[in-house]
Amino acid sequence: MSALPLPDLAQCADEPIRVPGAIQPHGRLAVLAADSGRLLAYSANWPSEDAVRQAVSLLPADAGRMQPGTGPSWIGSLPMAGRAFDATAHRQGDCLVVEYEPGGPAAGMHAPIYAVARELLPAIQQADSVNALCQIVAREMKRLTGFGRCLVYRFDADGHGEVLAERLDEGYHSYAGHRFPASDVPAQARALYLSNQIRLIPDANYSPVPLVAARGEADPSGLDLTFASLRSVSPVHLEYMRNMGTSASMSVSIVSRGRLWGLISCHDRAAKHLPFQTRVACEHLGRLLALQIQAQEDNAEVAQRLALHQRVLTLVALMAETDGTLQRLTKPDLALHGLADADGAAVVLNDSCWTLGETPPPDEVRRLAHWIAARGEDLFCTDRLPELYPGGEALLPACAGVLAISISQVHRHVVLWFRRELVRTIQWAGDPRKTLPGQGRIHPRKSFESWQERVRGRSSPWSPAQQAAVGELRQALIALVLRRAEEMAGHAMELGRVNKELEAFSYTVSHDLRAPMRHIAGYVDLVMEDNGDKLDDRARRYLAHVKDAASYAGQLVDALLDFSRLGRAGLKPSLVDAQAMVEDLVDEVRLQERGRNIVWELDRPLPRLWADPLLLQVAVRNLLSNAAKYTRGREPARIRIAAVSLPEGAGLEVTDNGVGFQMKYVGKLFGVFQRLHRTEDFDGTGIGLANVKRIVERHGGQVWARGEPDRGASFGFVLPGQPNNNDAATATQAHGAPRQEPS
Amino acid sequence: MLKPILLVEDDPRDLELTLVALERSQLANEVIIVRDGEAALEYLTRNGEYAGRAEGNPAVILLDLKLPKVNGLEVLQTVRTTDPLRSIPVVMLTSSHEETDVLRSYQLGVNAYVVKPVEFKQFVEAIADLGIFWAVLNEPPPGSLRTRRRHE
Repeated sequence: MSALPLPDLAQCADEPIRVPGAIQPHGRLAVLAADSGRLLAYSANWPSEDAVRQAVSLLPADAGRMQPGTGPSWIGSLPMAGRAFDATAHRQGDCLVVEYEPGGPAAGMHAPIYAVARELLPAIQQADSVNALCQIVAREMKRLTGFGRCLVYRFDADGHGEVLAERLDEGYHSYAGHRFPASDVPAQARALYLSNQIRLIPDANYSPVPLVAARGEADPSGLDLTFASLRSVSPVHLEYMRNMGTSASMSVSIVSRGRLWGLISCHDRAAKHLPFQTRVACEHLGRLLALQIQAQEDNAEVAQRLALHQRVLTLVALMAETDGTLQRLTKPDLALHGLADADGAAVVLNDSCWTLGETPPPDEVRRLAHWIAARGEDLFCTDRLPELYPGGEALLPACAGVLAISISQVHRHVVLWFRRELVRTIQWAGDPRKTLPGQGRIHPRKSFESWQERVRGRSSPWSPAQQAAVGELRQALIALVLRRAEEMAGHAMELGRVNKELEAFSYTVSHDLRAPMRHIAGYVDLVMEDNGDKLDDRARRYLAHVKDAASYAGQLVDALLDFSRLGRAGLKPSLVDAQAMVEDLVDEVRLQERGRNIVWELDRPLPRLWADPLLLQVAVRNLLSNAAKYTRGREPARIRIAAVSLPEGAGLEVTDNGVGFQMKYVGKLFGVFQRLHRTEDFDGTGIGLANVKRIVERHGGQVWARGEPDRGASFGFVLPGQPNNNDAATATQAHGAPRQEPS
Repeated sequence: MLKPILLVEDDPRDLELTLVALERSQLANEVIIVRDGEAALEYLTRNGEYAGRAEGNPAVILLDLKLPKVNGLEVLQTVRTTDPLRSIPVVMLTSSHEETDVLRSYQLGVNAYVVKPVEFKQFVEAIADLGIFWAVLNEPPPGSLRTRRRHE
């Protein structure tokens, strides 16, 4: 063997393994024309062509009527050179391929196939999982074949293999948990495993026996040996076996739903031949296993879907009891990540992010969620994020697989599940002699490394049931969100209706209440002017009260209307220089309070504020005239206007040395028509501070008041900064949830 | 001969006060009084009750906003879209501060918008100013209709 050049591994996948032109030496082969029975070719290990002709002459006459495309059938036990040989035959195109192998003892009712049926079936029926099934079959296979090691492994969707079950004799090293890449079993070998579901190599150190043409017949080296038990196998495979320290090997295919689900693979250090009867039992065992796996998988799928459906229902029920904001999904007790068997989960709403379990950092989650939302898919699913997502490499190893549902693309509302990179979660204990040199260029240890290389950046795949479950969750959440939206829309409509009513009300007040006030005042004026001289002093005083009352009521109505308009007017904010504005207003108040001794103290500079200039002026004018009003009688009156800077924003504070107020009434100060003083003492409609508060709150700001009876009062406010300005942005954020607009 | 002032007012008390105010402003113009929007339009277009009146537009229309049948805004709209009436100065007299009314009036091409003050003295002053400006001083050439003057 060592004299042979090593085959080229790169060409492994191109090797024509079905037409090797040779067989293994543990049996003999003859090729006949199916119709005439004429000898076409035979393996070179017959003593002579005459010996072939003599052997085939003993075949049953109807052997040629077999159908193509099926495996070898036993056609008899024939004595040759003093030994009983099992003869099997199958059709290959127009040819009948007859194989002769040394036979085992005649088994009769003790044939291995009966043992399989007798002992295995009950055990198999009790297995409750695919893994348990595989364990049972590995054990039974080992018993049937007597091989030193027996493995059951499964191929994933990419063809990568994983050892699920193993039975060993002492001294064999374990492959439990071993993973190997798809390339270990090339595509044409997989196709062959689908057609011919059993392959035996009794001795990896064999020398292939070529096929030779019978006298006068064509070269048989192109003959398709797909179904031939004796088919000579790939030299690459033999090298692999020798490197593993294996002489004999047998593989039985596990074919489920027309797909190569996995293989049962048996190895022995010594050369080992299995008679036809045993091989039939092994093949049968493979089929039984495939059937059971299919049933188990179906059951498991149904059970998983049902369980997941239950979890979705529970989640949705819990969500329905809350305010419907999806970030509640990440509450630990809901175990959202468990729904998809994920390592972590997250909910992203625009720029907000809530996480649970093991996830990338929130910034990364947000970036990823926005990327997913931009794809415009309802459901996003990958077990290999780095291949799709720019920057996905950086998220390894915590996140290689992502399952995500998009609730709303308008609002970039995404729920995500994360899975760790697979190679980090799977470590194969592997070959204890792994440091041993001279393992050759192909070896399971290298396979595992190669597999690790190929599945780098991948997570375990998301099962169809898990995808369906999150899809179902998505539907339910959307329904929930929609319901909330409808409720909100309902409230908004109701609010709109109430607002309209309020507008209609103020309209009515403005016309119908104001007019009588005007009439009373007007006619009293006329009476006083035209007939004032005919009235006595008392009557004139009474009429003066009537007129004052009507005027005051008219002012009240006007003030109330102004107040209502403040709430409705659109804000047109710009940067307002408070310095200039306050100076103007101080001049205005000075003019109104001519003859009084007021000491004005202004901070310089006063800030620039982001506000509607007209409304801000209304607010500040109110504060200044209040201060002037409530300091009447102070000698001198002191009014100080200070700049205020808080995390929430910038503003002003007006402090006076006036009559002040008791702090227990501070809550009433900003209410409409709330007055803390008698009208004789201080005139006014009691609406000024309510206006200030409304204006400031419409800007998203805050007002406050401090006071002490007879010691003066302070009224102040801050407004958030300009939205695009960075400082201002932090100030706005500090406010938290957007404030409800006063209507 | 001075053109008359057309006063459109439904409230009798407001009517009297306005008349007193006009009287005090000592305008020589005749004041034609109609009590609703429909009558105003009939007067202006010489229809119905006013079918027989002599030709000629008023110097100014003092128009209350809230009127029975056809309201002030509708009267204004008709005036501004009817050819021989188009150039008559219209002053809206109203109790309303309501912005939508103000806005709508100016959109429809009102010449002045007056919210009747509660204080009678101010009311008289406003009416006098208006009367003098629109009925005496102002002889608008075509094209100067959009001149706006606002009293509040």
